[in-house]
Amino acid sequence: MSNAAPTGPARSLRTPEQKLAIFNRVLSAALILFFASAPLILPLVTNNFWIGITAEIMMWSLFAASVNLLFGYTGLLSFGQALYFGAGMYGVAIGVAQIGLGFWPAFGFGIFCSIFMALVTGSLAVRLTWHYFAIITVVFSLIFYFLALTMSSITGGDDGLAFQLPPMFQFGDTEISLTNSTLQYYFIFIVVGLCFFLKWRLLASPFGRALVAIRENDVRAELVGINVYMMRLASFVISGFFAGVAGALFAFFGRYASTSYMFYHVSGEAVVWAIVGGAGTLFGPVLGTGVLIIIREELSLYWDHYLLLVGVIIILTVIFAPKGLTGLINSTVLKIVAPKHNPDTEAQSNLADDKARQPAE
Amino acid sequence: MSANTNNNVPVLETQHLVKRFGGLTATNDVNFTLASNGRLHAIIGPNGAGKTTFFNLISGRLKPTSGKILFKGEDITGYSTHRIARLGISRTLQIKSVFDALSVEDNIWIAAQAKMAGWHPLRSARHFPDTQRRVDKVIEEVGLQEIAKREAGTLSYGDVALLEMGIALASDPELLLLDEPICGMSPKETQRTVEKIVELSKLVNVILIEHDMEVVFDVADDITVMAQGGILAQGSPSEIASNHEVREAYLGFDEDDDGELAIMPNEQDIGQPSKGAHSNG
Repeated sequence: MSNAAPTGPARSLRTPEQKLAIFNRVLSAALILFFASAPLILPLVTNNFWIGITAEIMMWSLFAASVNLLFGYTGLLSFGQALYFGAGMYGVAIGVAQIGLGFWPAFGFGIFCSIFMALVTGSLAVRLTWHYFAIITVVFSLIFYFLALTMSSITGGDDGLAFQLPPMFQFGDTEISLTNSTLQYYFIFIVVGLCFFLKWRLLASPFGRALVAIRENDVRAELVGINVYMMRLASFVISGFFAGVAGALFAFFGRYASTSYMFYHVSGEAVVWAIVGGAGTLFGPVLGTGVLIIIREELSLYWDHYLLLVGVIIILTVIFAPKGLTGLINSTVLKIVAPKHNPDTEAQSNLADDKARQPAE
Repeated sequence: MSANTNNNVPVLETQHLVKRFGGLTATNDVNFTLASNGRLHAIIGPNGAGKTTFFNLISGRLKPTSGKILFKGEDITGYSTHRIARLGISRTLQIKSVFDALSVEDNIWIAAQAKMAGWHPLRSARHFPDTQRRVDKVIEEVGLQEIAKREAGTLSYGDVALLEMGIALASDPELLLLDEPICGMSPKETQRTVEKIVELSKLVNVILIEHDMEVVFDVADDITVMAQGGILAQGSPSEIASNHEVREAYLGFDEDDDGELAIMPNEQDIGQPSKGAHSNG
């Protein structure tokens, strides 16, 4: 794509689209830099409470990213992602508390549970699309929610399942474990970061392009030779994997598992985060999750009905910014950089304008 | 399956192909053979004759009630749509269908990489020089170089039709099924598209469903006439034009004139009354 003419002053000939790409790269870098340095800078401006919130935002972002992979890239709106979050969470808690696994085996067990669950339910669910798909995902998550609630000998039922944090590494007498809050933060940062890296690579590959093709036009995708069912299932399982990793991290973070995190209300929240942030963009869900969790944490202290504001934000987003906050930022940046372009690139900038306008229609 | 090296094996063959929808027989005992000879084969017939159903059966979108479909000698009856596409049968749809939110180039890119979609999950789609060459070649073949970066959703109707053909060509098929490619086009667009189809038919075997008789009789090397789910007649354009059965059943003419080609230029008499809103099958 970047076949810019090798001759001439390339710097001044950047199209608005290229400028936007640079802006997005800078924004992404700033986002990563913020999360990387939050435990160091946040105590300078506010209290340590916000480090925990930032860690939470990272985990929930990964959860929203799992919805985004399905909805934003594959065109399947799942309202049951909490099931895989819960599977990861209970996998860890049951692994530690009931089976007596160590840290890493329990982490692996949690992820395995979520993948297994996604494979079993997904193989049925992805035969459907649109509202049928949304409904069946809700139904699956409700079935397992009530199952977890009633099987209290294993899951702890209503009380949830608390556990003692096992050490990550042990060298003789020295133990390294997540009880060190800085270590815990960076453990979450690295795991979530790796997942986002994986998602980025996947989406850039022929596999990711095939998912977008299915989102755009599944009939045509099948006709060009894409195995739509297998691609949807693969997307569903990978999405379940991301949700499971988020759930497993959350179990370690809270040292317990609870059925309340498996309720479909949690799934719905992830859908909202993804849409408000911008479905179909890599970092959109991070933005959406961050903004809405900060609103929740700040506002819920002063106002019991803060969800009203969240509702208004969602309605405004869906009507005026279907591409979410990310789309809003992108079109604003395009508007700023577009008028100053070189006449040579006029045609291309018109195109960029069209693209920016497109979602608003 | 070393059938592809054998020139005597037809590209496509159907044997006693039947498709029923409840009480309706949409395809009735169709025995169709397309030899691999680089000729342009057209299928004509009135609405509801079963032409699109026939395409849907070949491309796997519908499963036949009975009968067999052979592609280069291989029995593909009951194969899934994507598997048939990967074997080398591409098609366009009656209602133009592309990936709207993606650029022209990406549309063709995705089709060119469809076979490998499940592989190389961590390698950037851009880093496949073979695909790049293929995409460039296809874009040139269909003549969309100047708008390669445009979003498909913003293209004119005629360009979308060309793009759809490009998508179908991207996987390097051996058989291309075109379902009313010029339906709803302006005369200028029609001319450009027809020229393209004639060019393509030299590179790949083409079966064309078309209602525009002027075009069909102008470009087709062979014509199959379908009516009520079955094949009514097959032959060269001049044979078809003078076939009394065809004239009675499909063209709706009695033997008034002297069996000459007089009917052919009068497109409005024999084409269907309303283009655009027709449903086949």
